[in-house]
Amino acid sequence: MIHPHTPEPIQYIAEDGQPVQALPERFTPDLLRGLHHDMLRAREFDRKLITLLRQGRTTFYAQSSGMEATQVGLARSLQAGHDWVWPYYRDHTLALSMGMPMFDLLSQCLGTNSDSCRGRQMPHHFASAALKFVSISSSIASQVPPAAGSAMAQKYLGSDEITVCTFGDGATSEGDWHAGMNMAGTAKAPCLFVCENNQWAISTGVQQQTASETIHVKARAYGMPGYYVDGNDIVAVMEVCAHAAAGVRAGDGPALVECLTYRVGSHSNADADAEKQYRTRDEVNLWLARDPILRVEKLLEHLGHPVSTEERSEIITQTHREVDQDVIRAEASGQPDWRIMFEDVYADLPSHLREQAAALRAEQEGVRA
Amino acid sequence: MTATQEKRDTAETGNGETRTINLIQAVTEALAEELERDRRVVLFGEDVGARGGVFMATAGLQARFGKERVFDTPLSEASIVGAAVGMAARGLRPVAEIQFADYMGPGFDQIISQAAKLRYRSGGQFTCPLVIRTPSGGGVKGGHHHSQSPESYYTHTPGLKVVMPSTPYDAKGLLKAAIRGDDPVIFFEPKRLYRAAKGEVPDHDYTVRIGEAAVRREGTDLSLIGYGGVMPDVERAAAALAAEGVSAEVIDLRSLLPWDQGTVVRSVQKTGRAVLVSEAPRTSNFMGEVAYVIQEQAFDTLRAPVGQVAGFDTPYPYVQDKVYLPGPNRILAACVKALNY
Repeated sequence: MIHPHTPEPIQYIAEDGQPVQALPERFTPDLLRGLHHDMLRAREFDRKLITLLRQGRTTFYAQSSGMEATQVGLARSLQAGHDWVWPYYRDHTLALSMGMPMFDLLSQCLGTNSDSCRGRQMPHHFASAALKFVSISSSIASQVPPAAGSAMAQKYLGSDEITVCTFGDGATSEGDWHAGMNMAGTAKAPCLFVCENNQWAISTGVQQQTASETIHVKARAYGMPGYYVDGNDIVAVMEVCAHAAAGVRAGDGPALVECLTYRVGSHSNADADAEKQYRTRDEVNLWLARDPILRVEKLLEHLGHPVSTEERSEIITQTHREVDQDVIRAEASGQPDWRIMFEDVYADLPSHLREQAAALRAEQEGVRA
Repeated sequence: MTATQEKRDTAETGNGETRTINLIQAVTEALAEELERDRRVVLFGEDVGARGGVFMATAGLQARFGKERVFDTPLSEASIVGAAVGMAARGLRPVAEIQFADYMGPGFDQIISQAAKLRYRSGGQFTCPLVIRTPSGGGVKGGHHHSQSPESYYTHTPGLKVVMPSTPYDAKGLLKAAIRGDDPVIFFEPKRLYRAAKGEVPDHDYTVRIGEAAVRREGTDLSLIGYGGVMPDVERAAAALAAEGVSAEVIDLRSLLPWDQGTVVRSVQKTGRAVLVSEAPRTSNFMGEVAYVIQEQAFDTLRAPVGQVAGFDTPYPYVQDKVYLPGPNRILAACVKALNY
């Protein structure tokens, strides 16, 4: 039985890969191998994107290495393409796991013509109407009140979709976070809030972010259950998120899940070197030992279904090949031209924008001539 | 309103009888008719439900349309605007009321980061057709948190539409257009005109196109251009000028983003003089943009520098409420200066 407001994070797999409680039946070796595959694929995607950054083919990237169990586990607890997602900017693993093609993610990160967002946003701010994965805003916690509204609309419209809203620990300090949580709580809106507590908001640690012991305790103040989960334990994340989502879907109102995890990399490429200034090697090493991918590998070994070196290499090779092919295909689609700058500002182009576009066209054509 | 303007507005939806109502009644009627017309329309904000809003703009609507469609929210502008964004993205037509424009600060991030940019940043995959209604402007002894004119913060934001009517006809027609449109609209209601502005509205359904100014009075010597709460004083000043034999053309911008550059420029090209009137603080006032466009597009025809009458660059003062506002005398002084240049 899963309970909210536990003093310690809910856990199924210990750091050494041993189950700390009986695994639910659905976690067959095949399912665990699938989860392992998705997490390893996401990590290799991270590695490849760092390479693309170094090659100057993209300009910004926020790794999710170390947080794979949280994002893959959450994705597997939702109905992809049915439930609505208001994500934050570190959620590419969530997007991949919900079925967003790697090509679409890469197209956005590269700002090519194949980017469904048309090169308007900085890299790593993707969206997909087909997946109901709403466009990411860089403003921290800005997505929280709209997620509450999305869930309120859901209630009004009356189907069994739910809204999921993700954010980091830093977001919980913003006014928008409290406003959105309060709104969803009072409206009993079908919204699942998931805090991916990776313990660092750029260089500010979670202890400097909040005076409360954990994030999940704040749920009490908004009249919703708060679950505390080991975010590096994919079985625990899936079990708790599925449980919380079921309650939300059943009309019980919103819920908050805090996944305690860690980003082992820097905040983004922007602070790759600065990272050493705010946290110790010992701390990083402690969390490397809690790695979610290794943990599942150890569990599978314990269950007598180890992932072989060849199988592991095949996932890595296949991911790298896929990224390489998709990058070539995305870049081949070219860069959006200046015209798209004026589109989608409004439903129809107003006259002042028509005039500004005409002036830019003259300038651009003059340059070409 | 000119005959031409009225013809264009009514031509969209046919003709009918008219009634005289005030501006707040026009707002209420627009809301009621849109709630009736489209089940996607929902109304919410602080006190809009049983209370009917502090100005009674939503009076009776919860009783008529139910708590599911007309409801009170927590006291949080970020929640109200943000929830409207989420609802709009899901296909509803939310109309959010912010009790006073002065209180929109906590919702500012939601307006500029979310509402204004959702369509653009998602490449058109998600849209945000919402309306934020809010009473604005001074003249009601409200002090600086109940009297400000913050429209310039919003006219500086691509992706938003910004509207401010001054007559019941425009309030009703523009609000309906805003609700039916596919873009986020900030709908400022000049609160001192809520009951002071009376006028005829047709019995039949009509809309007023966002982005078109109205020529309230035609003239040849000077263009007086304003919007919102200052319009009655602008018209009083024009009447006083007429008594002295000066023919002033009066233009009500009605929409600030987008705004009707053509009507303004054509008028100034005809009259050779322009005086711009608003009650917002002078520095970075929206009328600065209007003045720029006039000098850019009608410079050769100008016979005097463009005059501007605005509020002062101070927080809105409680005791000097009426002194702060640009009344007919200050408007007339600017006109005389332009005429004698």
